[in-house]
Amino acid sequence: MRRNIKSLILVILILALGVASLAGCSNQSSDQASNQTSQTSNQEPAEVEDSFEKIKEKGQVIMGLDDTFAPMGFRDENNEIVGFDVDLAKEVFKRNNLELILQPIDWTMKEAELNSGNIDMIWNGYTITAERMEKVAFSKPYLKNRQIIITLADSDINSKADLEGKKVAAQAGSTAVDAMYTEPDIVAAFDGGEPILFDTNNEAFMDLEAGRSDAVVADEILARYYIKQRGPEKYKILDEDFGEEEYGIGFRKQDKKLLEMVDNTLDEMRKDGTFDSIYNKWFAD
Amino acid sequence: MAEYIIRITPALLAGLDTTLSVFFLTLVLSIPLGILVALGRLSNIRPLVEILKFYIWVMRGTPLLLQIVVIFFGLPIIGITFDRFPAAILAFVLNYAAYFGEIFRGGIDSIDKGQYDAAKVLGFTPAKTYQRIILPQMIKIVLPSVANEVITLVKDTSLVYVVGLGELLRAGKIASNRDASLVPLIMAGVFYLALTGILTVVFQKLEKRYAYYQ
Repeated sequence: MRRNIKSLILVILILALGVASLAGCSNQSSDQASNQTSQTSNQEPAEVEDSFEKIKEKGQVIMGLDDTFAPMGFRDENNEIVGFDVDLAKEVFKRNNLELILQPIDWTMKEAELNSGNIDMIWNGYTITAERMEKVAFSKPYLKNRQIIITLADSDINSKADLEGKKVAAQAGSTAVDAMYTEPDIVAAFDGGEPILFDTNNEAFMDLEAGRSDAVVADEILARYYIKQRGPEKYKILDEDFGEEEYGIGFRKQDKKLLEMVDNTLDEMRKDGTFDSIYNKWFAD
Repeated sequence: MAEYIIRITPALLAGLDTTLSVFFLTLVLSIPLGILVALGRLSNIRPLVEILKFYIWVMRGTPLLLQIVVIFFGLPIIGITFDRFPAAILAFVLNYAAYFGEIFRGGIDSIDKGQYDAAKVLGFTPAKTYQRIILPQMIKIVLPSVANEVITLVKDTSLVYVVGLGELLRAGKIASNRDASLVPLIMAGVFYLALTGILTVVFQKLEKRYAYYQ
C-alpha cells in the first residue's frame, strides 16, 4: 500500500514535469510567432484584446459554420460551401477587402471554436438567445424566423390545442425546443409529456413522414427548405406558431470593431438592394 | 437514382480521402508506439511501468471523442495549440497505441519462459532474442486481436467531425441534409463495408502466412 502511494506520487510528479516543460516549449514558439506577425510583443492575454488589427493585417477573416446546415450554409454537389449566410458574408467582406475563409465546425463546439480563436465569427442561422448573449457578442438581427408547426397534409391537427396527446418531434439542441417550453402546458399535454428529439431536422421530417410522429416544430427558414425538397403537397403548416426569433452573427465579446464593420456593411447592403437580391435567390418561392 | 449516386460520389470520395488519411497515419504511428508501450509495461523499470499503467487507464477509460476535444480545445488553454488534423491524429495515435500496447503485452506474455532460457543457452543477446524469437511468435498470436482493433479504427475515424474535419460519414450527412434523402448515408455505409471487407481479406492472408505450425 505504502509503495503504491509512493509510486503514484512519483508518477504525478513526472507527469506534471512533462506537461510543464511541454507548455514552456510551446509558449516560446507562440511568442515567437506573435512577434513575427505583430510588432507588439506584450504579454496581454488574447481574451481582452480586440483582434481587428490582427485580422486586417492578415487580410483574412475566418467564419465558422456547420456545413450540414442547408440552406444557410452547406455543401453543394461540387463540394463547395454555399448558402444564404455564405453569400451574405462573401459580399460583406468583399466590400471590406478581407478574404473570407469558411471553416466547417461541429455545431455543438461553436462557442469553444470562437473563444479559442480558431474562428472569428459564427454565422450560420445562429439564433439570438439570452444564454448565448452571455458568451458571445451578437450583430444586429439580420433575419426573422418563426418556430412553425408542420404536420402531414391529411392530419386533423389544426391548432396548438390539437397537439394534446400527439407525438411532436424537433431537433435536439435547437431553439425549437426552447420555444416549445415557453408554453409548458402544451408540452406537458404531448404524448409522453415531452417532444421527441432527433439529431437533425431531416430525421424529424423522416419520422413525420413514416407516421411515427404527428407534428414537427422547426425553424421556418429551415422547415420551408425541407418541405420544398421533400414535396410541398405532403405537408401542412399551421397558422399558429411557437413565437418569433431572430438570427444574428456571433463574435468574440472583445471584437467590437469587427462587429461594427459587419453591421454597417449589412445596413448598406439592405439600402442598395443587395440584401434582398441574395434573400430572393435562396428563399423566393 | 443511378444518376443521383454518380452525382454525389465525388463529395463522398473527398470525405473518404480524409477517412483514409486518418486511418493509415494512425495505424502506421500507433503500432510501433504500441510495441514500445508493451515492452515498457513488461520492463523492470518501476516508474515507467506505473506511468504506462496510468496512460493506458486514461486512454482506455475515457471516450476517444473526449480525448480529441481535450487535445484540440483543452490544450490551447495551457498554451499548446495544434491544428485540426494533427490534433485528431495525436488523439487517435495515443488512444490506439494504448490498446495495441495491451494486445502486444498479452502476446509477449503468452510465450513460454523456457524459450528465453533456451535463447540464452544458445548465446542470443536479449535484443536478438526479442527480434528473432519472441516478436515473430507474438505477431502470430496477436493477429486476430489486431485485426479486430484495425476494423474498429476504420469506423472510429468518423469521430474527427468534432474538430470540423470533413470525413466520409460527415460527407454523407451533408448530402443527406441537403437532399432530404437517406441514400448518401447508405452509400457511406457501403464505402465502410468495402474498406473493412478489404481489411478482412488482408488479415486472413496474413493469418494464413503465419499459420506455419498447422
